Amino acid sequence: MPPFAPPELSIVVPLYNEEESVGPLVEAVRDALEGQPSWELVLVDDGSRDSTAQVAGALAAADPRVVLLQLARNYGQTQAMQAGFDRANGRIVVSMDGDLQNDPRDIPLVVAKLEEGFDLVAGYRMRRQDKIVTRKIPSWIANRMIIWLTGVRIRDNGCSLKAYRRDLLDQLHLYSDMHRFLPALAAATANARIAEVPVRHHARRFGVSKYGLTRVAKLLADLLTIKMIASFRESPLAMFGLGALLSTLCAGAFFSAWLWPFVHPSASRDGSTMNAYVLPGSALLCVALAVFLTMLGLIAEEALQKVRGEDQLERYGAREVHG
Amino acid sequence: MTEIATREHASASLTRGDMHPEVSVIVTVVERPEPLVALYREYASVLASCGRSYEFIFVAHPFFHEMLEPLLALEKEGEPVRTIESPRSIGETALLRRGLADVRGNIVITVPAYRQVQPSAIRELLAAVDGGVDLAVARRWPRRDARVNRLQHLALHLTAGRLANGTLHDIACGVRAARRDVLEDIPLYGDFARFLPLLAIYNGFNVVEVASEQHASDLSSRVYRPGVYVRRLIDILGLYFLLRFTEKPLRFFGLIGSVLAGIGGIALIVMLVQRLLGQPLGDRPLLLLAVLLATLGVQAIALGLVGEMIVHFNASRRRSYRLREPRAPRSESARNS
Repeated sequence: MPPFAPPELSIVVPLYNEEESVGPLVEAVRDALEGQPSWELVLVDDGSRDSTAQVAGALAAADPRVVLLQLARNYGQTQAMQAGFDRANGRIVVSMDGDLQNDPRDIPLVVAKLEEGFDLVAGYRMRRQDKIVTRKIPSWIANRMIIWLTGVRIRDNGCSLKAYRRDLLDQLHLYSDMHRFLPALAAATANARIAEVPVRHHARRFGVSKYGLTRVAKLLADLLTIKMIASFRESPLAMFGLGALLSTLCAGAFFSAWLWPFVHPSASRDGSTMNAYVLPGSALLCVALAVFLTMLGLIAEEALQKVRGEDQLERYGAREVHG
Repeated sequence: MTEIATREHASASLTRGDMHPEVSVIVTVVERPEPLVALYREYASVLASCGRSYEFIFVAHPFFHEMLEPLLALEKEGEPVRTIESPRSIGETALLRRGLADVRGNIVITVPAYRQVQPSAIRELLAAVDGGVDLAVARRWPRRDARVNRLQHLALHLTAGRLANGTLHDIACGVRAARRDVLEDIPLYGDFARFLPLLAIYNGFNVVEVASEQHASDLSSRVYRPGVYVRRLIDILGLYFLLRFTEKPLRFFGLIGSVLAGIGGIALIVMLVQRLLGQPLGDRPLLLLAVLLATLGVQAIALGLVGEMIVHFNASRRRSYRLREPRAPRSESARNS
């Protein structure tokens, strides 16, 4: 066994039911990285139901630079990516799709941009080859919302071709469906320096697209989460305090509406002065909400005090290594 | 998790030399136990006929203290039996975990202290585990028991069963066999031991059902106290959340919250418009309902956000995937008959 020397560059590719694409993909990566310094290709099989694992396994056995990881079941693209990141040894890590829609020839491009001094370089798809109604429009809306909510100006969060510094990945831990928001997360939690480069995009050659149009609600929930993490990760109490304040204002409005006719009897055109329940009741509900939100904020601070401390330590530690 | 102190009656030595047995059988004695010695003899004879070395570990709730006495006698006679009695009242999951801490065999069989299937079923379970299955569970099939039981069975499978996407047909059958490392890898807490096959599937293990003949003593109708059903329902709700939403609490709370807040919000807007058109607002009870719904919705979403925050900050310490290990053919525990 030769002594272990970590490669310079790791390519991470999640695969789900891509038996036809794997072969051409590995071939294309090999061609594209001809003459590059040492590299490894980490294929992550996300519990495919077809023969992806067998095909990829054979490719990995034939070339020591190709590694196959197999997830125990179908977990999803985020988990597959994180598994690949955990395994990747390179100083620079590049992620891309396994369906050949990204072009491996763009890998040197994003890497070169990263070397200019960025922590994350995201590709954005030139002349995107996808269906307009089901893919492009939802994607455009989602990207606008991400920019608007997080302030991270990435044109194309859905493009998987990205390059990262190892140090940055060590600070990010993907879960749920968070890979789509990786740049926003990186900017918000690790102060990453981010750049974009245009990349090629091909139409699907094999298989079917793995996304649908039914993801809007999930996307909204994730966006809300990202927004919260970006804005309030340092002080959850501030967020809930803000909510409590708004709720208190509502309570005040209801109380005022109730009391107004008492102050100005001539203005009692609501005929509501006699009803002692509806308006004060609504006001009290708002007060209850304010109290609830405040207590929830306190509990959140309490629950997160310890982990947040460790989290920050971890980050400062990473910063020092960074120089 | 506090360490469970236990009174252990057994000495550690095994009967057949100091060799580790191939198969460890854990019997959790927590409800409707049948005479344990007879149970032991039935299962032991099947294992012996398979040519396996074995040990039995009886883990008992303190309520069934008396029932362990005959087992102690067996143990003195040199049978490979150990008994562990929990000093406190703990549930089946904790008992199982306690038993797992003591097993020495590479294959673990769990059976309840009552008979659900013919003991010979474990022969096929063992064969399945040998064949590379991570967890083999007995399925009572065809069902021959009382209608009440089957109704409860149906209720369980219409709720918890859905989580398995139709791959499991008898979650409640406690006769299961697995490699020890599989059981050690599945996080067991709460009262989720009864849903072990579901947890195994969600951890990416390969679970197979083996149809087994139902035991005659399992046929009579069983009706539990109402409290039992309430607890079960809460368990299933907890399990549902655990398996589907642990990493994305906002999707769960957010859905509830946005429906509530949405209805409330629409009602508020409608009433606001009507107020602007001149209809008085202060004596409409609907306003109260709308505000109530809106505040409830906001509360649910706020809880979901706290959940997301906890998940976010704990992401570094939990792994959200499991890799499939390349499985070497079973060699170290090959039969030595």
